Amino acid sequence: MTDSGDARALVSLTLSFRPLANQIGPLRTLVSDLCKPHLADADGLSRLLLAAHELLENIVKYSVGEAAEFHLHVEAKASGLLVRLRTKNRADPERMADARWRLDALAKAPDPIAHYDELIRESAGRLDVSGLGLARIPAESEMELRYATEQDWLILTAEGNASERATG
Amino acid sequence: MSALSLVAVGGDGFQVTPTLIAFNLRLVFTGSGDMNATSIINAYLKLVHEEAIRLGLAQVSCDFKQLTFMNSSCFKSFVVWIDTVKNSDIRYQIAFLTNPSLPWQRRSLEALRRLATNLVTIETIA
Repeated sequence: MTDSGDARALVSLTLSFRPLANQIGPLRTLVSDLCKPHLADADGLSRLLLAAHELLENIVKYSVGEAAEFHLHVEAKASGLLVRLRTKNRADPERMADARWRLDALAKAPDPIAHYDELIRESAGRLDVSGLGLARIPAESEMELRYATEQDWLILTAEGNASERATG
Repeated sequence: MSALSLVAVGGDGFQVTPTLIAFNLRLVFTGSGDMNATSIINAYLKLVHEEAIRLGLAQVSCDFKQLTFMNSSCFKSFVVWIDTVKNSDIRYQIAFLTNPSLPWQRRSLEALRRLATNLVTIETIA
C-alpha cells in the first residue's frame, strides 16, 4: 500500500479496491493513524479526515464497475505539510455530468464558504441527495478541490496545508 | 405537560437518546453519523419537530459531545430540520452543544447557524 519510491513523502499510500460502505470507517482510521504522528494539531487532522471521508463516500456512492483508487500523500515543505488526497473512479454519464457541473461551479466561486452556504440553502427544500459533500471539502477542510476526467473515469484531488509536528 | 413520546434510536456505532427537562428537549448523539446513520437521523428529526410542536417546547438541544463525525448526508438532515422550524408558524430554539476536542463540529455547525442565526446557537461543553 505504501509507495516506497517517493522518498520525500512522510506518508504515501496508494490503494486500489472495490469500494464498499463499511470500508469507509476503517480507511478513515488508517488515514488518521498514518497522519497523526506528523500533524501538529487536532484541527489539521480533523480537516484532513473530513475531506478523506467525503471523498471515500463519494466513490462508494457513485462509482460504477469494480475498481476505484484512493491515494494519500503527506510531504514536508519549508512552509509546513502538504497534504494531498486523490480518488479515481468510473462514473456513469449522468453522474459525470452532475459532478462536472458541481465542480465547475465550485471552481468559479470566489468564496468557497459563501458558495457552500448557498448550496445549503438550496438543498433545504430538496429530498434527494445532499449534494453538499464535495463543496464541504474546500469550505470546511480548507483544501483546494480539483477534478480531471479520463474517458469515464473521474479523478478528484483535494490538496491543502497543515502544520507539522515539531520533532526532537 | 404531556409525556415525551420519543424513544432512543440507533444501534452499533450510532445512537440518539432523548431526555425532556421542563420545556427543553435534549438529544444526546453518540458514535459516528455516517452512511448507516443517515436514514435514522432523517426520520428522527421529523419526529423531533412534531414532538416539539405537540409539547410546545422552547428549545431542542443537540448534545454532540460524543459524536465523533457527521457526514454531509446527515448534515443535510439538520439543514432540512432547521429550515422546517424556520418556516413553521410555531418555532423553538435549537442549540448545538459541542466538544472542543472535535474541531470539525464548530466548522460544520457554524454553517448550520448561518442558515438561521435567530434560531440556532452553538455552545461548547466541557
